[in-house]
Amino acid sequence: MSRIGVFVCHCGENIGATVDCAQVAQMSSSIPGVVHSVDYKYMCSDPGQTLIKEAVKEKKLTGVVVAACSPRMHEPTFRRACAEAGLNSFLCEMANIREHCSWVHEKGDQTTQKAADLVRVLVEKVKRNRPLRPIQVPVTKTALVLGGGIAGIQASLDIANAGQKVILVEKDPSIGGHMAQLSETFPTLDCSQCILTPRMVEVAQHPNITLLSYSELESLDGFIGNFKARIRKKARKVDEKLCTGCAVCTQKCPQKKIPSKFNAGLGMRTAIFVPFPQAVPNKPVIDIENCRYFKTGKCAVCQKLCPAKAVRFEQEDEILEIDVGAVVCATGFDVVNTDFFPEYGYGKYPDVINGLQYERLASASGPTLGEIRRPSDGKIPETVVFLACAGSRDRAKGIDYCSKICCMYTAKHAMLYRHKVHSGKAYVFYMDIRAGGKMYDEFVRRAIEEDGAIYVRGRVSRIYERDGKLIVKGADTLLGGEPIEIKADMVVLATAAVASPAAEELAQKLHISYDSYKFFSEAHPKLRPVETNTAGIFLAGACQAPKDIPESVAQASGAASKVCGLFSQDQLSREPLIAAVNRTAPPQYSSCTGCFLCESVCPYRAIERETITTRGGKPIRTIARVNPGLCQGCGTCVAVCRVKAIDLDGFSNSQLYAEVRALA
Amino acid sequence: MAETVRRTSGQTVVNDMEALRQRARELLDAGTVQVIIGYANGSNRRVRPFFARRPEDLERLILDDRCVLNLAVYLRKPEVKALGKAAVIATPPLLRSILQLAAENHYQESEAVFLALDSAGNVLELSSAEQIAGVLGSLPGSTGQDACVPSADRMPALSAGSTDRQARFAFWKQEFERCIRCYACRAACPMCYCEQCLVDSNQPQWIPVAAHSIGNLEWHISRAMHLAGRCVNCGACSEACPAGIPLNLVNQFLADRIQQEFGQKAGTSAKLDYALSVFSGSDRETFIK
Amino acid sequence: MSEFEPKIIAFVCNWCTYAGADLTGTSRMKYAHNVRVIRTPCTGRIDYMLILKAFSAGADGVIVSGCHPGDCHYTSGNYHARRRWMVFRSLLDFLGIDVERVRFAWVSAAEGAKWAEVVNTTVADIRRLGPYTEYQNLIGRGVERSFQV
Repeated sequence: MSRIGVFVCHCGENIGATVDCAQVAQMSSSIPGVVHSVDYKYMCSDPGQTLIKEAVKEKKLTGVVVAACSPRMHEPTFRRACAEAGLNSFLCEMANIREHCSWVHEKGDQTTQKAADLVRVLVEKVKRNRPLRPIQVPVTKTALVLGGGIAGIQASLDIANAGQKVILVEKDPSIGGHMAQLSETFPTLDCSQCILTPRMVEVAQHPNITLLSYSELESLDGFIGNFKARIRKKARKVDEKLCTGCAVCTQKCPQKKIPSKFNAGLGMRTAIFVPFPQAVPNKPVIDIENCRYFKTGKCAVCQKLCPAKAVRFEQEDEILEIDVGAVVCATGFDVVNTDFFPEYGYGKYPDVINGLQYERLASASGPTLGEIRRPSDGKIPETVVFLACAGSRDRAKGIDYCSKICCMYTAKHAMLYRHKVHSGKAYVFYMDIRAGGKMYDEFVRRAIEEDGAIYVRGRVSRIYERDGKLIVKGADTLLGGEPIEIKADMVVLATAAVASPAAEELAQKLHISYDSYKFFSEAHPKLRPVETNTAGIFLAGACQAPKDIPESVAQASGAASKVCGLFSQDQLSREPLIAAVNRTAPPQYSSCTGCFLCESVCPYRAIERETITTRGGKPIRTIARVNPGLCQGCGTCVAVCRVKAIDLDGFSNSQLYAEVRALA
Repeated sequence: MAETVRRTSGQTVVNDMEALRQRARELLDAGTVQVIIGYANGSNRRVRPFFARRPEDLERLILDDRCVLNLAVYLRKPEVKALGKAAVIATPPLLRSILQLAAENHYQESEAVFLALDSAGNVLELSSAEQIAGVLGSLPGSTGQDACVPSADRMPALSAGSTDRQARFAFWKQEFERCIRCYACRAACPMCYCEQCLVDSNQPQWIPVAAHSIGNLEWHISRAMHLAGRCVNCGACSEACPAGIPLNLVNQFLADRIQQEFGQKAGTSAKLDYALSVFSGSDRETFIK
Repeated sequence: MSEFEPKIIAFVCNWCTYAGADLTGTSRMKYAHNVRVIRTPCTGRIDYMLILKAFSAGADGVIVSGCHPGDCHYTSGNYHARRRWMVFRSLLDFLGIDVERVRFAWVSAAEGAKWAEVVNTTVADIRRLGPYTEYQNLIGRGVERSFQV
């Protein structure tokens, strides 16, 4: 027989002013099973908690209901108090008579009656609670970092420097990401590669980091502390161990006219290639789509000339299986291309380029060695128009959000152009200038005031070609919408930053949620910005939303510290409110019929198949089993189970049933 | 109540009975199977399930439009399993249930042999779910509309376009009040394979066991929900009901809804996802506000 | 005779609607007292049997509410729930059970005002529909007593 104690809190006036707490306590005393029922001014105060602890001991309570504020507020407080008095903390429940009652209703009998009803519901529930212990799971102290851009690099280094192992997976042949493509960085105009490449080298040389370049995540199973990652190491067709990076192969490859992705299509590369000179690892990859040997079976120049005999045409993709305890997702972003814009010529004008292409033109390592020369004829443009918000904040384009980085890099672009071409004219069309950040607004002012960039507030409606010039038609909305027409030699569109095309598939592999733009969702927009809703998986950088370098680095360090926090313990403690499949005596063994509907509803793949065998190993039947490490306790399986063979602690069938019946 | 139940189709196929018997005899003789499950005449002009274990028993096998009870229910019974491998005289509804059972991991490949007649009167010998799915559409009477329905005058409340909710409530209240909770519907249903039915679990006792209005309603709602997306419309439940409640109307209504809303039809493939254990982000309703 | 006071039982998920109702409280918004909330982890957990049990416990109306699609704490529980309600609601309607008495809603943790509105409109709707005597008459006296442990 249950011995339940009911503790009604006045919360000062908060509850006491509208609910007759003494009457609630008195009404509760007549509920069958209730042996103790009191009210008190502040239950959460020290004397209030002492009241509970003493009653637990003296009245030998088997369950406690605290009628007070929301369990989201003080459940841990009262559960701890019960535990200190020797009652299992999961035998304590809270009736929410403040947020759900006293604060939302007027003083009166009906409000008191409602409070009493809520207490009765929770009394019936707590009678059916059972003692539970937190679940302990071991932690594999290796982190998987997905993406080798600046965010992934920073996260890897931070985790590795804290003494933990890191596996860094990058899909491209080299780490570096978009940052490696940039010319100079705002607001200080330091060269991107100069600050990035030392970090890249540090990653390659760090004893705690295993770098898997040219590799992709195949699948991720398991749960926090205990993930199993399968990683596809794509065939480079080059033996990384033998290759010395001498670059004979890339110089001699006859297939030279392949647009380079690193140079945003503005430069060419060979079929066996290293994306850029400072690549890490500095080992080439054969692009089999374009390689003459793979297309025709003839050539093999690289293989013949390689002094280290490292070329391996027969090399196959390799699948690695790795145990990891945490995942940092830092897979970055993409920018939309100029062909996304019909009004600006669908990308058919070679001198209408996007911001990333401009970065390559302005970069000392780029195809023009840092001279601003337009792609069509290599001439130095005399007038350049920069368009901020190309696609961003544009509902018609389906991109409602602000890409955040464009205002700043457009100012930088105009500035760099003016530095390099002193006689040139730089026009910037903008909607608003969003330069929030340390030294950011000053930077934009500098572009306008010192470097003479001409800022025009307005949108560009059309760009077309006439007499060898690009005619940019827009309006200056600060001058009452006066039409403007500029004859430009080159136009740079600050095209919208978007999620990378593989983001959705990756999110599904990781079981993390994403927003309607396919950016990954953080667990809480303000308070948990680096966590995902899947425990043990963290976010860093622009895969979550467009971000600049300092923000990406800050978030990466945040994610790294979360990982280190997780790795600081050998065992993880988890709430035991999880589902379980019942087990009964032979010959049934369980009422589970083995239909496995639970398997397909489970968002966490926590349902396993368990075959019950005789002692001799002969299979009797196959039933469902819940992996307690994976189950998060949503209870969707419980609701679909026809036979109620599966149940959820804390929200069990008998508890919910009794709660409803308590209101009869 | 029996006279209010009529069949909408039901071609008599006795002419081809001899071919079926012949094939069954061959299977028994060769030892491929140890028992033939089919139909035979029982008392009072009724049809009963029949288990033929010797060639001479086969003379008693019949197959006509009275053969509605779904023989698939016997395949999972331990007493029947103990007889050895079975060959089953198969009608399209039975084959649909086998496909659905296979989709739910409750029919293993080649567990039994199914003998069905095609439209030319040839005997088909089917065993795998793949074979069944391949021929099912071409079998006579396979349109899925061969279950029994009550006569129209008995259910004005359900006629197309009726918006009279209270009339529907009154109709079903009256129907369900006749239920004596004998669970013949459950016993006749091949999809009711749970060892412990929800109604038999008593911690908590979700559904009151006594035959009274509320318990009966809750029982039939539960059964309908449990069969939603799984019922293959064989009509065995209505046929088995001693009170003549047109149970399959409820199941069929939900089957139609599920097909309309989610494009899934039970008993069409062994690879079918259960409509209520999957979802689509584009599921559309208008009532969640 | 005093005005009919509907009895409403609400099944809500812990992460969105329960928290949203907490917000209604912290914002001190007033709403009708008739609702009794039963907390579940997720709408995916809300068995249709609970709705039937609420009616057989004498409820005149039921509220079922959870996270908006896309916001489920458990990523997909509410999508499963939505499908289940689509089927269950049409079944109830086919059997002539008054589906206007079951209010389904999405109320997020930020929608404190919406929770007040959901409760108030449901109470007003049920007041208009009157007591659910049609269903309550099915309940035989003493047939189902709450059992003790």
